This record gives sequence, structure tokens and C-alpha cells, in this order.
Amino acid sequence: MKTNRLLMAVLLFLFSLNACCVIGKNLFVLLPDPDGRTGKIRVFNQGGDRLLTEPRQATEVKDTLTIPSPPMVMDEAEIEFLFGVALAAQPEPPLHYLLYFQEGATLLTEDSQKLIPEILAEVSARRITEVAIVGHTDRIGSQEENFKLGFNRARTVKDLLIGRGVNEQILEVVSHGEDNPLIHTPDEVAEPRNRRVEIILR
Amino acid sequence: MKKIVGWLVIVFLLTVPTVRAAELSVGTVKTVKGTVSLFRNNQILPIHEGDKIFKDDGLRTGRESSLGMVFKDDTLLSLGPNSEIIVKEFLFSPGEGKLSWVARLVKGTAACLTGIIAKLSPQSVRFETPVAHVGIRGTRFAAQVQEDKEGGHENQ
Repeated sequence: MKTNRLLMAVLLFLFSLNACCVIGKNLFVLLPDPDGRTGKIRVFNQGGDRLLTEPRQATEVKDTLTIPSPPMVMDEAEIEFLFGVALAAQPEPPLHYLLYFQEGATLLTEDSQKLIPEILAEVSARRITEVAIVGHTDRIGSQEENFKLGFNRARTVKDLLIGRGVNEQILEVVSHGEDNPLIHTPDEVAEPRNRRVEIILR
Repeated sequence: MKKIVGWLVIVFLLTVPTVRAAELSVGTVKTVKGTVSLFRNNQILPIHEGDKIFKDDGLRTGRESSLGMVFKDDTLLSLGPNSEIIVKEFLFSPGEGKLSWVARLVKGTAACLTGIIAKLSPQSVRFETPVAHVGIRGTRFAAQVQEDKEGGHENQ
């Protein structure tokens, strides 16, 4: 049964290839997220639009003036046949960590210091090619001072990682100062959850 | 005084390229299989795992080849064999509300898992092909562009 379906998929594909050779057709397939949920995509052109909302729903588009075809659910084997290589090349999602700091300082909290070994382990295990270190502050002090403090916090983490053997070339330091808080507060309010450095392992 | 200006120029020249690289790269190459090339400023360059990707870069895979990329907003984009994609727009400054992700699949197959930009501002994300656009609400999808024998290669 499964072989039959696969054969059908291959035949269908060959048929569509045959039909395509005058005009290149475009195909769009909605896929479930890794967490199992499925989002939505809207495929549109001058001819009109189609909303795909179900897993493996697909639409085909002939040219810019023709409305995309009515959505049809594609066979898993067919998806694998067409997109297997592209899907297999998809990298792992980046990992995010938050490190917290003591008020007005570039000193890590004790809990955050304990996270460092885990971060180092992931950097080598995942062959990480880029580490973004983004410094943030709360709103105590001026915007300018906080930009510097955010930068200094990020630099502290950078130096710490270099000290533990991470290749300097892959480290990238940025400061968002007080402009990108996790928790929105009025000016001059102390908020420990905003005194942080975000580390993104890509 | 002249000496100071001279030093300032040197410091400027030394710092600008690194700042530029840090600010403008839009992502990084994570997986390379087979023959993959990069089109940047009318040049064809080889590409390796860990290389930075910039806005307006074109990426092309050959036969039995594939490529996987991670953007700064966690978007994952990968290409199957004989494929070509152009990174048309990328802005990721959530603090300033500047968000945009636009890519154009010229030919071949691609798979995409959208990232933070699609979560914060779905209307700022667009995936294009020669005959249609895709608007995305935080999700994963795949697209195929079969080559037009008459038109041949599309010029961007």
C-alpha cells in the first residue's frame, strides 16, 4: 500500500514535471512546527489568494495572474520526495540563555554563574558558529549610561567565555541598554529581570 | 593636531569594518553539503559552515547539494539541490520596532521555519517566488520553484 502511494507520488511528480516544462510551476506546502502545532500561510499573487491552515496542505501556482490552486493535503511520501533534502538541511533552532546581574554592576548573580558550564558544553556539542551576547539594563540611570552598562555586562560575559576557551572569532557583543526590557517599567525603577545578558547560540 | 586627526582616521578605519560586520550580517551558514556558492556584489564566492550572510546575498546549491542557514531572529532557512535564494531584506531591531524578513526563491526547493520577526510582526515577513508571495504566521513551510525552460534564469 505504501509503495503504491509512493509510486503514485512519483508518477504525479513526473507528470507535473512534464506539464511544467512550458511554464515553471510553484508549489507551497504548510508543514507542522517541530512542537507539533501548525501555523498559517497565505499564498497570494495578482490572481488572488489562498490561506493554508492544515498540516501538509499545499497549493500550486501557475503564473502571476492565476489564483493559486485550491488547497489540497499532500502525502507525506510526496513531501519527503520533493523536500526531503531541503528539510534535512534545516539547522537546529538556536539556544537562548539569560544571565542576570547585580544592580548597577557587571557582576553575575550566583544562579547565573551556575549556568556557564552548561552554555560551554552546548557551544562545543552543537558546533556553534555564532554566539550573540546582548547586554540589557533596567531603567535606573540615564539612557546613555545604561547603554554603556549593557555593553560592559556583555563584555564581561564575552571575556568570561574567552577565558573558558571559546573561540573569540565567533563571539558578537551588542548592547540594547534600557531600550529592550523584558518587563516594561517607568523610568528610574529598579527591575532585576531587566538586568540581563542574553546569550544566543547559533 | 594633525597627528591627532591622523590617529583618529586610523582608529576610524580600524573600527568601522568590524562594527559593520557585526551590525549588518543577517545570519550564519550552519550546514553545507556538496557544491554551494555565494553571490555577493557581482562576485561568486565559496561558502563554508560558520560564514556570515548579509542582506542582498544570493545563495545557490548545485546537484546533490544542500545548505542550511540561521538568521539573527532564529529563522531557519534551508535549500535542497539546484536551488537559489536571495536575501532581499532583513531588519531585526525589536527595541526600535524595525523588523523585516524578505527572501526570494528563484529556483529549486526551500524549507523555512520562521523566527522571532514572524512572532512579533507577521506582516513584516514575506517569502517570494517568481509567481507568488507567501505571508506567514509563525510556522514552517516548504516551497518549490520549477524552472521555466523558456525564461531560463531570473535576473534580480
